[in-house]
Amino acid sequence: MQRFRIIKRQERLGWRSCFILLTAIALALLLSAVMLVMRGTPPVEGILTLFKGAFGSRWAIEDSLIKAIPIFLCSLGVATAFRLQIWNIGAEGQFALGAIGATWAALTFPELPKPVLLSMMIGAACIAGGVWGMIPAILRQRLGTNEIIVTLMMNYIAILLLEYLVYGIWKDPASYGFPMTPMFSEQAIVGKIGTSGVNSGIFHCLVLGVLFWIFFTFTRTGFELKASGDSVRAARYAGIPYNYLVVLVMVLSGALAGWAGFLEASATINRLQPSIMVGYGYTAIVVAWLARLNPLNIAITSFLLAGLRVGVESLQLDMQVPAAFGGMIEGLILMTVLASGFFVHYKMVPVRKQ
Amino acid sequence: MRIIKVMSVVLCSLGIAFAAMAKDMNVGFVYVSPIGDAGYSFAHDKGRLAVEEMDGVKTAYVESVKEGPDSERVILNMARKGYDIIFATSFGYMDPMLKVAKQFPNTVFMHCSGFKKAENMSNYFGRMYQARYLSGMVAGAMTKSKILGYVAAFPIPEVIRGINAFTLGAQAVNPEVSVRVVWTKTWYDPATEKEAAKSLLDAGADVIAQHQDSPGPQEAAQEKGVYSIGYNSDMSTFAPKSHLTAPVWNWAPYYKQIVNQVKEGTWKAESAWPGMDAGIVKLAPFGPMVPQDVQDTVTAKQAEIASGAFKVFSGPVKDQQGAVKIADGTVANDETLLGMTWFVEGVVGTTE
Amino acid sequence: MTLEMIIPLLAATIVAGTPILYATLGEMITEKSGVLNLGVEGIMIVGGLTAFLVAHFTGSPSLAFFAAGAAGITTASLHGIVCLVFQGNQVVSGLALTILGTGFANYFGTSYVGLSAPGFQPMAVPLLADIPAIGPIFFQHDPLVYLTYILPPCLWLFFNNTRYGLGLRAVGEFPEAAAAAGLNARGYRWLGILGGGFFMGLGGAYLSLAYTHLWTNNLTAGRGWIAVALVIFAFWRPGRAVFGAYLFGGIMALQLRLQATGTQLPSSLLLMLPYGLTVFVLVLSSLGHRRTNEPAALGVNVEPAD
Repeated sequence: MQRFRIIKRQERLGWRSCFILLTAIALALLLSAVMLVMRGTPPVEGILTLFKGAFGSRWAIEDSLIKAIPIFLCSLGVATAFRLQIWNIGAEGQFALGAIGATWAALTFPELPKPVLLSMMIGAACIAGGVWGMIPAILRQRLGTNEIIVTLMMNYIAILLLEYLVYGIWKDPASYGFPMTPMFSEQAIVGKIGTSGVNSGIFHCLVLGVLFWIFFTFTRTGFELKASGDSVRAARYAGIPYNYLVVLVMVLSGALAGWAGFLEASATINRLQPSIMVGYGYTAIVVAWLARLNPLNIAITSFLLAGLRVGVESLQLDMQVPAAFGGMIEGLILMTVLASGFFVHYKMVPVRKQ
Repeated sequence: MRIIKVMSVVLCSLGIAFAAMAKDMNVGFVYVSPIGDAGYSFAHDKGRLAVEEMDGVKTAYVESVKEGPDSERVILNMARKGYDIIFATSFGYMDPMLKVAKQFPNTVFMHCSGFKKAENMSNYFGRMYQARYLSGMVAGAMTKSKILGYVAAFPIPEVIRGINAFTLGAQAVNPEVSVRVVWTKTWYDPATEKEAAKSLLDAGADVIAQHQDSPGPQEAAQEKGVYSIGYNSDMSTFAPKSHLTAPVWNWAPYYKQIVNQVKEGTWKAESAWPGMDAGIVKLAPFGPMVPQDVQDTVTAKQAEIASGAFKVFSGPVKDQQGAVKIADGTVANDETLLGMTWFVEGVVGTTE
Repeated sequence: MTLEMIIPLLAATIVAGTPILYATLGEMITEKSGVLNLGVEGIMIVGGLTAFLVAHFTGSPSLAFFAAGAAGITTASLHGIVCLVFQGNQVVSGLALTILGTGFANYFGTSYVGLSAPGFQPMAVPLLADIPAIGPIFFQHDPLVYLTYILPPCLWLFFNNTRYGLGLRAVGEFPEAAAAAGLNARGYRWLGILGGGFFMGLGGAYLSLAYTHLWTNNLTAGRGWIAVALVIFAFWRPGRAVFGAYLFGGIMALQLRLQATGTQLPSSLLLMLPYGLTVFVLVLSSLGHRRTNEPAALGVNVEPAD
């Protein structure tokens, strides 16, 4: 049998890495098609329906864009922390807190002029999300507690806090006892762009994405973050204030996820209700990594993943495929793409027979 | 000649096929949980399957649709694809559906468990509390400890109304009964729900009722050797020794009726809240341990409810603090029932 | 809360903690080898479905139990392929595995909802079960619970006194050095992943064979994530994992019982208890001693040798 040796690639792959990526996705789709066959669904038609539902029409693309907005912002937040090798898996909770903060502002000052109120909502969302991110950072610095467990537990607490509020003091008296706040006033709602269904949250994403890029490319702190992420010891040696940076990234991370919570509450639901929590915070982690923490890639990946989720609905509607198919295809794509990264970094060289 | 014959046959069958296609109605369903939840959405899906059986009707569903933006998109897509009737079966779909209904005046929208309607949008629900009351009577007759346990899902009016009706039913046959409530904040987490039932059993309850979709509480009751009341569908296969009865949904007649109305062009938007009279809610068959006299009493009451002679929430009804909420001689109106957020006297627990 | 309620509470604690304990021990084995597997939730649910289906179709709970272990191994091997063979990032691979496993189980499990399967029933241990207080708390459960009594000590012995256990830890601490000393680092990590997957699968099986005897979508309901947290909470020690799992199960059981006895606290706040207290206890124990026992190479892949 031919044996191979694994060698780290010295050269950059360029366009060929695209080819590897596409192969990985194709493999995942092939496996998904097999799953479709196993439940008696015609596979080719199924996959085509999925794509048409996700990107096949103007509506589909708009829907995918709307869904991509919160994923993008959460992912940007998560990426900030990951740059420093801080494992923030609490975007879900920070998202919830952001939504709570924004709702507080919207319900307390409903009559303020739109720009003022929206700014206040953003401020409140970022502060609430930021504080929720800061707690695990401080615990980590002061006591050495692991941030994975604290952020994870705080997700559950945040969701229950949100429930407590909408089932309790914020419940709309006109909702017949159902857990939701009153509809936000007109001034508290981020509107749609022209006649499209997409809300202007997409501009927020654009601005924040560019800021993210500038921060990491041109500022001193951004540079320090990158350096510390590569090697904590080297950073400390170089006099970089590591402890401060940990708190900083977690606050930024939480604020971005909080911003996503604000947009979701204000632009898409127009109120706070428990169903605002659909797991964007967890999706964000996967997106951030697949995109290699790069903002442009994060945007593309968010859009594609959002499209997948939208497309699966068409698949259900037209072909009666269970909703769980979406999770399966997503998981398969993630795993094959992840594995394909190997071929970008390494190559296999046949071993000559002696 | 032969060719013409063949041609005409082909044309004829094509014509028939087209006619059939033209008449085919598309009916879409939107569910909040997977139909694999064995409960609420499962019950609606049984109704959908009954509609699917009808001639010239095709159905489709989307499950696990979150309330809010996701649901608006799903309903919108159904409307765009030309579905003639769309059923959305969760409260949170109300506002999204209303938005879509305004854009598609020729589509019939049916929203379950809400209160808003439009020219082309009805709201509907079933008076499950009527069946709950009857199941409470059974539980009240069977308990020895005079403590009933209720494993509750989320503190929303639908659930609270059920607990109240259950309590009133139990008190009707056994005035000293109290009902203990444990919230799990889950719709289908069998392990947690079973655990909640066990905690009620430990607190002295000897009949367990539930609002969630999983048969976990039924199992807990059977293992302890006490009785249980199911929900959604007949759960007796899971706990044959303890399952007394269950208030169950039966959507098939209503859904078929709506589809027929739309077909015949007689459909009109309304707020429908049918109950036992229409067969939307029922009581599952009694278990063999329920004595005949109890069965007879409950069946008699069922007839009274179905005929409208008896109303479940007729005064005087007091809340937990003893304040009269429904005055003597009056009957709670639907508004009160839809927005019920307080427990009746005899319930131990909090609605928060 | 009366004394008669405390014994059932503690007994319920044991049962509620058991599925989490299986999964926690599984994750601990995996992490000891230096591999972080966030796919516990996905592996558990595949194990739960497999156990249910095998029990339903063969009628043998024991066979179903081991089938779940095998399903756990199979699912975990995907993590191994991505991380060990293809050098994928462990955090993302684990998350992807959770998404995949949950999707897979719900996709194929939909047709089997509403069926029932034979499972394990409580079996009192002779003599021990009759001891007052101790008996009802510890020895009147199903056999799968008793298995968790001997598992942690065995695991402790394995980690500390056996060649393979020590090798596993060495690879988790410093794979390059371990490799230099002649250990097969990649092989030990496979052992960690697959061995861990076996126990995670068993944790899922406990839910569909003993805790309840049925299948519904999302049967695990987040217990896999709790297991991930508890490993860190336990500072990678089997003994503390037992403590953690029972603490978590105990508070869960307690908050339900507080409600059953008619407490007036809002249920959302009560439900926060287990999570809040886990963080609180973690903080407390961090105050005490800073050595956490964390495998030094946790989450770091072994580069293929040139």
